[in-house]
Amino acid sequence: MLAKRVFFNKYSIGTKITMALGICIVYGVFLYTQGANPFLIYYEMFQATFGNVYGIGEVAIKATPFILTALAVAIPARVGLISVGGEGQLACGALSSTFAAVYIFKDMPSFIGIPMLLLAGALGGALWAVVPGILKIVARVNETITTLLLNYVAFFLVGYFIYGILKSPDAYGWPFSPRFSDSLRLPTLEGTRIHIGILIAVAVAIIVWYVTMYTHLGFRMRVVGGNVKAAKHSGIIVERMQFVTLIVGGAVGGLAGVIEVSGIEGHLRPMTGVGYGYMGFLVAWMAGNHPLLIIPFAILLAAISVGGNALEMHSGLNSSIVLILMGFILIVILAIGKRGGK
Amino acid sequence: MRNALKLNTTVGDTVKNESMTTPLLEARGITIRFGDLVANDKVNISVKAGQIHAILGENGAGKSTLMKILYGVYKQDEGTTFVAGEPATLHPPARAKSYGIGMVFQDFRLVPALTVLENIVLAMPRLGFWLNRKNLHDQILETAARYHIMVDPDAYIWQLDLGQRQRVEIIKVLIACDTRVIIFDEPTSVLTPQEVESFLAMLKKLRTGGYGILLITHKIGEVINCADYVTVLREGRVTYHAGRKNGFKENELVKQMIGEKEISTVNKTKGRDSKKIVLRVENFTVKCDKGRKILQEINFTLKSGEITGIAGISGNGQRELVEALFGLRTPVSGNIFLENINLVGSHPKKFLESGIVYVPEDLIDEQVVPGLSILEHMILGGIPVTSKRFNVDWRKAHFDMVGLEEVQRLGVASPERRVDQLSGGNVQRMVLARAMARIPKVLLVSYPSKGLDIFTVRTVHGMLFSLKEKGVAILVISEDLTELFSLSDTLIVLANQRVHGPHDPDETHPHAIGQIMLKGGEE
Amino acid sequence: MIFVTEVLTNAIRAGTAVGYVSVGEVIGQRSGVINLGAEGSMLAGALTAFALTAWTGNPWYGVMCGGISGALMSLIHAFVVITRNANQLATGLAIMFFGQGITAYFGSSYVNLQISGFEPIALPFLSDIPIIGSIFFHHDILTYLSMLMVPLVWVFLFSTKWGVILRATGERDEVVYAHGKSPNCIRYMAVVVGGFFAGVGGAQLSIAFSHSWMENITQGRGLIGVILVIFASWRPERAMLGAYLFGGSQALIVSLQGRGYNFSSFLLFMIPYILTIVVLVMVERTGWNPMPEALKKVFGRG
Repeated sequence: MLAKRVFFNKYSIGTKITMALGICIVYGVFLYTQGANPFLIYYEMFQATFGNVYGIGEVAIKATPFILTALAVAIPARVGLISVGGEGQLACGALSSTFAAVYIFKDMPSFIGIPMLLLAGALGGALWAVVPGILKIVARVNETITTLLLNYVAFFLVGYFIYGILKSPDAYGWPFSPRFSDSLRLPTLEGTRIHIGILIAVAVAIIVWYVTMYTHLGFRMRVVGGNVKAAKHSGIIVERMQFVTLIVGGAVGGLAGVIEVSGIEGHLRPMTGVGYGYMGFLVAWMAGNHPLLIIPFAILLAAISVGGNALEMHSGLNSSIVLILMGFILIVILAIGKRGGK
Repeated sequence: MRNALKLNTTVGDTVKNESMTTPLLEARGITIRFGDLVANDKVNISVKAGQIHAILGENGAGKSTLMKILYGVYKQDEGTTFVAGEPATLHPPARAKSYGIGMVFQDFRLVPALTVLENIVLAMPRLGFWLNRKNLHDQILETAARYHIMVDPDAYIWQLDLGQRQRVEIIKVLIACDTRVIIFDEPTSVLTPQEVESFLAMLKKLRTGGYGILLITHKIGEVINCADYVTVLREGRVTYHAGRKNGFKENELVKQMIGEKEISTVNKTKGRDSKKIVLRVENFTVKCDKGRKILQEINFTLKSGEITGIAGISGNGQRELVEALFGLRTPVSGNIFLENINLVGSHPKKFLESGIVYVPEDLIDEQVVPGLSILEHMILGGIPVTSKRFNVDWRKAHFDMVGLEEVQRLGVASPERRVDQLSGGNVQRMVLARAMARIPKVLLVSYPSKGLDIFTVRTVHGMLFSLKEKGVAILVISEDLTELFSLSDTLIVLANQRVHGPHDPDETHPHAIGQIMLKGGEE
Repeated sequence: MIFVTEVLTNAIRAGTAVGYVSVGEVIGQRSGVINLGAEGSMLAGALTAFALTAWTGNPWYGVMCGGISGALMSLIHAFVVITRNANQLATGLAIMFFGQGITAYFGSSYVNLQISGFEPIALPFLSDIPIIGSIFFHHDILTYLSMLMVPLVWVFLFSTKWGVILRATGERDEVVYAHGKSPNCIRYMAVVVGGFFAGVGGAQLSIAFSHSWMENITQGRGLIGVILVIFASWRPERAMLGAYLFGGSQALIVSLQGRGYNFSSFLLFMIPYILTIVVLVMVERTGWNPMPEALKKVFGRG
């Protein structure tokens, strides 16, 4: 679980480039069979993502929740826990912050409202993680399964409120929450959609990185993650550590939810952020749970999905063609990333 | 090839006579090396039909290795194996099995989630697609009844205790119809005294049934009880061989097993006279991982400035005892008083803070955190930590560590080295240095010389003595009587769920201790 | 009474697809491999079956090829997880995304197409039994097959030698190896068969249940099928029951809302998941966790 599993440290630059080229070629051949010019498509995908300010902005917006949900996986992973609960934590963060925005902080000025909103979201995610935490420590139920199950419960919980008391009367019957007041929207960069969420995500990543790498607490987490018995022998209260990391992970996952709602959509929909939790799990896996490596991998996956949307507009191919690329890349990395055998 | 053994199944007089002379299984001049270690050195052994041949020896004498060669797990470097008089290669196990050799392993090859019947099915290669449960059920009960073995074919393995699991293993071997030779690897180590009795009765039945039996053991009582022949192994060599007709002499066997070791007491320093009781264990009952009570109602004390040695065959509760004394295992009942404070029920953290330090046996499993350096390991319950901006002050820790007398004397490797890449001996040095650096009130050490060279062993012993001088109460667990006698001020033996002793090593002969260990304390 | 029969009939109708996935996963997980990619297998099966049925007009070709495409998807999973020894959860998710992408792309031309596929058949005599007849014997052929499949899988797992070997593989592969069988080979077969079942489940969804194709038609049913296996303590009959429970919660909502009751369906949808958690807690209390030991390793220590 520790950084030594980091995939990209295991291979030389040459191998990595060969691999990337191999993926491009195979996928290019596939595109060609679909009647498209692969070179043109790669060029367009690049243009749409890193070719201009707008594209870079879109990638940043998309990468933000991936970074946070990946951190929600990576923090518990530091103490050896496998959480797949980013999905549910994001949903609960979004839900609790929507409640806060609609009922409590509606008329607050930004400088109080937005921090309170972030706090509310983090709290929501953390509370959602309390359930698997308690089940893990008290009832010894495996956290992977409970977090996976609770993802669905959270999804339906959001649906329950969105179709119920949170449903906006002004949404023409759509299942949307009321719109957040403007003072509660995350500030954006002048003239773009880029909001401060990406800064928050990167800042959280850096904090997590600093804490895990350069503090006594992080050191003790590494001991628990590396060898539970050794940790107990050296007087660390392992259960408390596991509980706390699960909850902190949940809080970070909850942040992803607030940022998605307050930064981009402005209201909560049933499908807000669906699938981002699982994406985060894959990002964390590829980055070997290293808090900083998560950022480039999140950007990579974000770029692929943004590039896909652009493709549909320009080349007429269905945008889902990039999901194929994404799945293909993931499978190749998984197949090659870790040596077979024991 | 498979038929070679089947000849014997038709019991006629001539055949029987022949089988009395030709061993079912024989090994001549077996040698096997693991690196520098010669595990077996020119060993000869043979077993005939209707015989129980006991192989006696201490742990590490090479008994298990020899049996694994006979079962085809390892391939010998030198020497030949014969089946029914014909040279035969036994490696791999499938081939040994086809020659009619079966083995009952110490760590049972059973699947806990399956029933007895299903586990036996796994071992029956010539079974059709369908599982005729009724048929198999009868077959198992029939085989079991023949040797008075009690099993329930429909019970799940996880519901069974170790003795019952062993019976399943035995039936697995018996039901494979070609089996002629059965190897038992320390079969009684998992059994309670009552179970041992019925087990030995069953062995005799198997002998009457015409099986050739190889019995690995370190318990002399069993040998005297049932063996026809005994071969004693020590340090990989056969040191003694005798048949029942010549009579087994208990003292002779003990001597042959333990050897004429020199028990030196040269270095031992007498601790101060005013010994204060530091740790008091009262009515202590502990369960092992399997849920069986492994120590019952034991009492003993540790005194400051005194080394208490714990002797005993491994698996008699040593591990459970020290784990409970460090808070890693909650006892069923009983108290641990450290200077009149009862520590039972506390977290290891509390034990550590109260001044108890534990050096476990399996360091790789229980002490080494993959990826961390020696320095990082040293502050884990060792060198006191000073904080600097949320972080450990690593520079100070480094300075502290290099300055430690223990670190220098034990020759701990440099602080930056990764511990998971160190050799076992180096890990041991590091852990001991760390434990000593704390100057605890009580030090619990399991197998302090495991994996160390003689020079380091002496250093470790020297350090233990100097800690003793400083007034630390030390508990040493070891199977090596030489070590225990040279270290301890008092000796305790763990056997049969009880504590035996204390004995004064200066006034007790090692053989007496050995007898208590081997015979399970039937004094 | 009509209400009850209606709900129960629809529970079976809606639950069958998940049931296929879940029973297939029982086989796979019993060998020690969890395949979250069953979602991908199901999607692949659904699209392939739909396309073939639309093309040939014979739904049986669709079912066969749907099953095979599901098996192929799970073959990828088996290779990456068994031969390359990669993380099972991550690989399953990757396969799920891959399946979503590939079916969404190739399926785009089939959206809005309607096919006849399998229609419900009333079984002679049996369907005339009051209540029971209308609940169990007014279904499409694939639903009947699924009812038949459960006892077959049960018999395979518990009454054949290979069933024992399969279960032993998921528990202690070293024991299987010691008895001269290859655990990896057994796992490959189990995962691929599980994928085949998931593919057939997808086929049932597209050509017998909805008679249409849309992007992401399974809507997480594959993942639900995988989770139901845990709820079912790795037993095929309970997995099917869990699938009907899942179908039932959906059917209940539809029936209630059809009668003008206005209440939130979402709380009902949660029930199977919360029940699973309750089951897990109770299972831990008994002290014996029925999870195959090889899977315990996937989920990390304890």
